[in-house]
Amino acid sequence: MRPKVIWLQGVTCNGNSHSFVNLPDIEDCLRRYDWLYHPVLPSSCTLDELSDKECDILVLEGGLKPGWRKGEFDLEKLFLRLAKRAKKVVAVGSCAVYGGVFREYDENITGVLFSGAQKTKHYKSLAQKTVNIPGCPAHPEWIAFALDAERVKLDTYNRPKELYAYTVHSGCMRNEYFEWKVDAEQFGTKEGCLYYRQGCQGPFTHGSCNKILWNETASKTRVGTPCFGCTEPDFPKRDLFATKTYMGIPATMPLGVPKRAYLTITGIAKSFHIPRLHKRLFDED
Amino acid sequence: MKIELIEKIEGEAFLDVSCRQGKVRDAYVRFPHYRGIEKILVGRDPLDALVINPRVCGICGHAHLQATVRTLEKLAGFEPNEKVKKIREITRFCEMVQNHIKWFYLVVFDRLGLTYDFRTVHVMIQKINMLAAIFSGQWPHSSYALPGGVTCDPSQLEILQAKRLVQSVREHFVLLVGAFDIKNLSKDLKRLYDRLEERDLLYTGKSLDRFITFGSDSYVQSSKILHGKVRPAKLHNIREFGQEKSHAKGVTYKGKFYETGPLARTMLRGDLFVKQLHRRYKDSITTRIFARIYEVGTLLKKIDEHLRTIDISEPSYTPLEIPDGETMSAIEAARGSLIHKVCIEKGKIAEYVIITPTQWNLSNAKNGESSIIKKALIGAQCEATDIIFRSFDICSVCTTH
Amino acid sequence: MARISKEERKRQIMDTALRLFSKEGFFEVTIADIAKEMKMSAGNIYNYFSSKDALAKELILYISKYLGNQIRQINMQPLSAKEKIKQIVELYFKTAKERPELIEYFLRIYLSNREVFKDGCEGMICVSPFVTEIMIFFEEGVRSGELRDQDFFSAFGLFMGYLGGMVFLMGEGMLPNDIEFYTDEIAENIYRALKNET
Ligand code: SF4
Ligand code: SF4
Repeated sequence: MRPKVIWLQGVTCNGNSHSFVNLPDIEDCLRRYDWLYHPVLPSSCTLDELSDKECDILVLEGGLKPGWRKGEFDLEKLFLRLAKRAKKVVAVGSCAVYGGVFREYDENITGVLFSGAQKTKHYKSLAQKTVNIPGCPAHPEWIAFALDAERVKLDTYNRPKELYAYTVHSGCMRNEYFEWKVDAEQFGTKEGCLYYRQGCQGPFTHGSCNKILWNETASKTRVGTPCFGCTEPDFPKRDLFATKTYMGIPATMPLGVPKRAYLTITGIAKSFHIPRLHKRLFDED
Repeated sequence: MKIELIEKIEGEAFLDVSCRQGKVRDAYVRFPHYRGIEKILVGRDPLDALVINPRVCGICGHAHLQATVRTLEKLAGFEPNEKVKKIREITRFCEMVQNHIKWFYLVVFDRLGLTYDFRTVHVMIQKINMLAAIFSGQWPHSSYALPGGVTCDPSQLEILQAKRLVQSVREHFVLLVGAFDIKNLSKDLKRLYDRLEERDLLYTGKSLDRFITFGSDSYVQSSKILHGKVRPAKLHNIREFGQEKSHAKGVTYKGKFYETGPLARTMLRGDLFVKQLHRRYKDSITTRIFARIYEVGTLLKKIDEHLRTIDISEPSYTPLEIPDGETMSAIEAARGSLIHKVCIEKGKIAEYVIITPTQWNLSNAKNGESSIIKKALIGAQCEATDIIFRSFDICSVCTTH
Repeated sequence: MARISKEERKRQIMDTALRLFSKEGFFEVTIADIAKEMKMSAGNIYNYFSSKDALAKELILYISKYLGNQIRQINMQPLSAKEKIKQIVELYFKTAKERPELIEYFLRIYLSNREVFKDGCEGMICVSPFVTEIMIFFEEGVRSGELRDQDFFSAFGLFMGYLGGMVFLMGEGMLPNDIEFYTDEIAENIYRALKNET
């Protein structure tokens, strides 16, 4: 028997549903599971019919909010009833994981296990079976991984280490510029690192955006957009297109790097002027 | 009265209909949810809106991004160069194309009980999103466009990849739906037509026959059609009003309701195929559904044209200061005109207002003026309410931002 | 004579060189002079430093580490930026008084003869231990809200230029009082110039 899946939506923008549709072998994924409900893809039930259904994997997209209606149901009650019986709960996207962007409007909106960085009242009962896939949206491959994988190693936010032990910085095409501390002077160029001025959060954001590319082809930093840290509990921070600095020193250090070590290395790196890194990549010599 | 829950429409909505003798007598639309996006923006740096606003909607976030950019640029009195305009249009048109294809098959075909080639449909969706991501980094939810330009700096390599993708999507598209020749429909267009005919739905869902478009780009110009006459449309004539029991606001132009979206756009453009349908079926679901899928072909051609003519040596970005002030502007999203209004004080957002296409199409009647959705439903077979409703390609999450 | 380690010997050579440089001038003093002063052969000194330039670079690194380590001690204490400024000024003046050759070397030789230091001592490389600690001091002061946020170099120049100027006056014998007499007022001036107004 194929495992039954229900994909339920709470307070959401539907972005994860549409992100999931981008999965290259979606057909196979649709075949491998018995999809009782998905908001976009073909599935066998209507919302009303979920009242007496059970599933093996429960996917939640969007935050939980007390009193939020889901058709005829109370969202949280429906979610909890299904979650209790499910073998696995997958919280997809930062809203389902931490409450997400809409939490900025209403603090009562929470994720399954976390409300921002705090544990929710469901943590005790559901932490054992919940896999968190934050991201705004989550990458389709990450979602597929959470559905398929067994015995995954999780970090403190229940995120699979295989996906979130990396930082977004690993694999970014601008690493050389980061190493030699050559900042992008402005937006719209292939050259330069976005950490020093444009607000890139890649060095301290958990995620594999530059390992498993988006739409099989790109990532934010690869098209010159700073990473906004959407996999973390404090997304969205403020002033997202500028680097917060104190006396010119970035306020948030690369993950695990002591400030002293960072300043020593960068002070030295910057002392060497590497002409190649200060020119346009495709310039004539 | 019966209450229908309409789901799988980018969220949900309730439709309260009263029927007599199998015909709709009255109808009222309710959107049950509210997420407070406009409130979240208050007090933030204007550029933060480039990250927050796409989260209004997972299927048209790109349009929200570009509406934000355009509004902020208007405030600064800035006009981007041709390269920036083309790149932005390419990615926005990609988003419209993926939307229309999803809606056509996953919603319309599904609802009418028609089968379809899921694999090819999916390949088209995936490829068109990949094309967008070449420039925007990802789809959904990119923030690659910002006041002053775009963050990407494509080289010839990316342009060539993009050209191959659009070529491939165009080929798949023609193979699936056949030619837009009114006398010679074939393939999926024909299957759809036949099904509507079988179910006696060809003439159903006629509405006010008034169309409006506020966005202006290389595809369509801001204008309206009233009593068959095309006139310019002015943003300052727009009014929003609260609606009982619903979190969506209604919206009028000079006190009247107008339809926005692909049908409006193709009518305003004067696309022959749609005009021919309109002559016969007026603004029924037939014309509305065909207009939307017809638009896919035109948009793909536009994307291809832009890729052929773009001059990548122009700068991608010009530094731009956002001044204090107040303004509004519009952009064409998949479902029609999307309007953003901003007020900036002391460098921070003081107020933000979003008016979505679905608000135009799904406003409830007011002050004796019948609205687009109401007029389309009244008198229709009660069983047809669902397909009439969906022919507008409703977006609940957008509407209750 | 007790055997001393290579490291210690190296330090002795550096201390001697610093003393001679400050007394006679950097360009006047040769390796041979240093050797003579230490009662070593010049050849033996070359076992420690391959050239006078190499010695010059090691010296600046040595001084930078010396000062850096002490500022680091100050940075690690739970003090306000105001108190830290006072301690840094104190440290700087005390060093200028007790080991004037260190500060002099930094001001008169390192900063005035950049060509000597161009290979391998570019930019911040040889003064990194010192500058890093000053950066940390500034960064923490701004983060806590006590100091005003500004470009690092405009703050650095104000701080170091002031202290350097005072030590210069001292060296020229132009200060009517002992340099430590000025500590409190100078610390106060620096603090007022850097503090957050709001
Ligand atoms: S742009 Fe961001 S992710 Fe890329 S190298 Fe710089 S800091 Fe890292
Ligand atoms: S690059 Fe950063 S902001 Fe973008 S999706 Fe990845 S984690 Fe989120």
